[in-house]
Amino acid sequence: MTVSRVLIANRGEIAVRIIRACQALGIETVLAVSEADRDSLPARLAGRTICIGPPSSTASYLNVKTIVAAASGTGSDAVHPGYGFLAESSELAEACAAQGIVFVGPQAEQIRQMGNKLQARALARQCGVPILPGSEKVHTYDEAATVAEQIGFPVMLKAAAGGGGRGMKIVTEYKDMRQMFTSASAEARAAFGDDTLYLERFIPNARHVEVQLLGDRLGNVIHLGERDCSLQRRHQKLVEEAPAPAMTEPRREEIRQAAVTLARNIGYENAGTVEFIFDQDTGRFYFLEMNTRIQVEHPVSEAISGIDLVQEQFRIARGEALRFSQSDVIFRGHAIECRITAEVPDQGFRPSPGRISEWSPPEGPNIRLDTHCYAGYTVPIYYDSMLAKLIIYGRDRVEAVERMRRALEQFSVSGVGTNLPFLRFVMGHPDFAAGKVNTHLVEELITQMGSARAGAKS
Amino acid sequence: MNNAFGSLSDDEVRQIAELVETLDHSTFDFLQLEIGELKLTIGKGTAPLTSGAIAPVAAVRLPLPAPAAPLPAAPVATPAAAASSPPAAKATAPAQDGTVAIVAPIMGRFYAQSEPGAAPFVTVGAMVRNETTVALIEVMKVFNAVPAGVSGVVTEICVQDAEIIEYGQVMFRVRPTETALADVPIIA
Repeated sequence: MTVSRVLIANRGEIAVRIIRACQALGIETVLAVSEADRDSLPARLAGRTICIGPPSSTASYLNVKTIVAAASGTGSDAVHPGYGFLAESSELAEACAAQGIVFVGPQAEQIRQMGNKLQARALARQCGVPILPGSEKVHTYDEAATVAEQIGFPVMLKAAAGGGGRGMKIVTEYKDMRQMFTSASAEARAAFGDDTLYLERFIPNARHVEVQLLGDRLGNVIHLGERDCSLQRRHQKLVEEAPAPAMTEPRREEIRQAAVTLARNIGYENAGTVEFIFDQDTGRFYFLEMNTRIQVEHPVSEAISGIDLVQEQFRIARGEALRFSQSDVIFRGHAIECRITAEVPDQGFRPSPGRISEWSPPEGPNIRLDTHCYAGYTVPIYYDSMLAKLIIYGRDRVEAVERMRRALEQFSVSGVGTNLPFLRFVMGHPDFAAGKVNTHLVEELITQMGSARAGAKS
Repeated sequence: MNNAFGSLSDDEVRQIAELVETLDHSTFDFLQLEIGELKLTIGKGTAPLTSGAIAPVAAVRLPLPAPAAPLPAAPVATPAAAASSPPAAKATAPAQDGTVAIVAPIMGRFYAQSEPGAAPFVTVGAMVRNETTVALIEVMKVFNAVPAGVSGVVTEICVQDAEIIEYGQVMFRVRPTETALADVPIIA
């Protein structure tokens, strides 16, 4: 199976990232662009572009038929979906396979298995991977209330078809159950066209820990360590790091092995990530879900392992065996990633599209910037607000945090509002420096920063 | 001589009315007549280009002459299958030469005719109206009929049959007719 020309069905920094991997491997690139992205940085870097539709992503980047037609029409023998958009569309993987086009990702069936959260949970249980106490599908409020009492409050209501935090509700007390059930169902129906919910115990003092995996067609699966992505705002990650801080070595090994076991069990192919909730009060971890794609935060794993994940994705896609065994993977140092977005922290993280008049990123050793932005670039209104990923490497966490702090100070952007002030606040905060993070820290820090600023003004 | 048409006699007006009625029952869309100082254009919908030609000139809508060139790989769709969710073509603002572009409303494979061996939808010199189908664009075996979105005469075909075309790519250039005839007095 050859991959000599790839259609990249994505935009922004990940399109740039994929193009660079292709250049290193001698693969020709065709970038699918919407009308809004014709003059983007990846459009200039790609071998050629093909305009697939208007700015609206439903008519362009999310259109399976158009993407496949663009691939075959441009003589591409592979499609790389990036992350987001159609990255976890079993329909796209299937349509590519039907046309003899290599989908750079897992098999359609594996995407389907992991895409249904309840099926994924059942699979994890079969593999002996710990799952949170919870339910199967619940259809009525009465069912949900009964299960909730069995699990014990607080519980989390989740959409079976879900993801991205939509249709997710925390219920702390029995009396709130009915109202939360109604609103979670409604949200799930609106977001996914399916209002089926399930319940899980809610862990208040939790960290989000995930394990990076690579699997090949021959059944080899290895991990590239874990990442801590506990710093999230509304279930969107803001800061990620590798390895996960404050975890005992035996626990770290256990969580890595749990992920490998799950992936091996379904013969998982290509890059993937198994997400866990880590309960800091008990030291136990629970399976959350598996992401069947390259993830935004993959660079931190690259930084500590020295392995180019996107290049490996292509090697796996063309049928090659993994080039290294688990013992060949050596982890060294600590890496942190900050997601720089066009959002204004002072104004409730309001999106701030527009023309970037100044773009002065930090430079120097141990600094990596994955971005599609430059001075003069206009951030379109149609897509997500991420501008760049700043990845910093240090010998240990202390050094990495200190370097990140300085790098953020040196990062200067004008023309659009950014979340840089908030990221600086996070990196300078003693709780983060001490590794005292959980999934609620961001909300707390937002409040703290607000009052600190109000204090400074008065 | 006190009718709405000023210098025309009642008899002349009656004759014109008869012409209108005759045209209405015919297969013709337009009639242009020039006799001495008198210039008369009668028609439905958008007016054809007035080329200054003399004597009765009828601009006939399709059918069009068969293509001379052999056609490459062509779609297997029937025209009926082609009509799925026809996107509206966008005609751009006039270029310097006065023509407007008909651009692709979706990305896909361009087909100039409804099926292999059929006559192309349009050729250079053809008269098109807003709703005239000018091409099929195929995306994964779904054939989308593309209406012209402009009225006028095709001056250039910018893409090859069976070529992959981008969203927004110029497919045709059309010299638009100035105004729709139905909107102006029947006597010019």
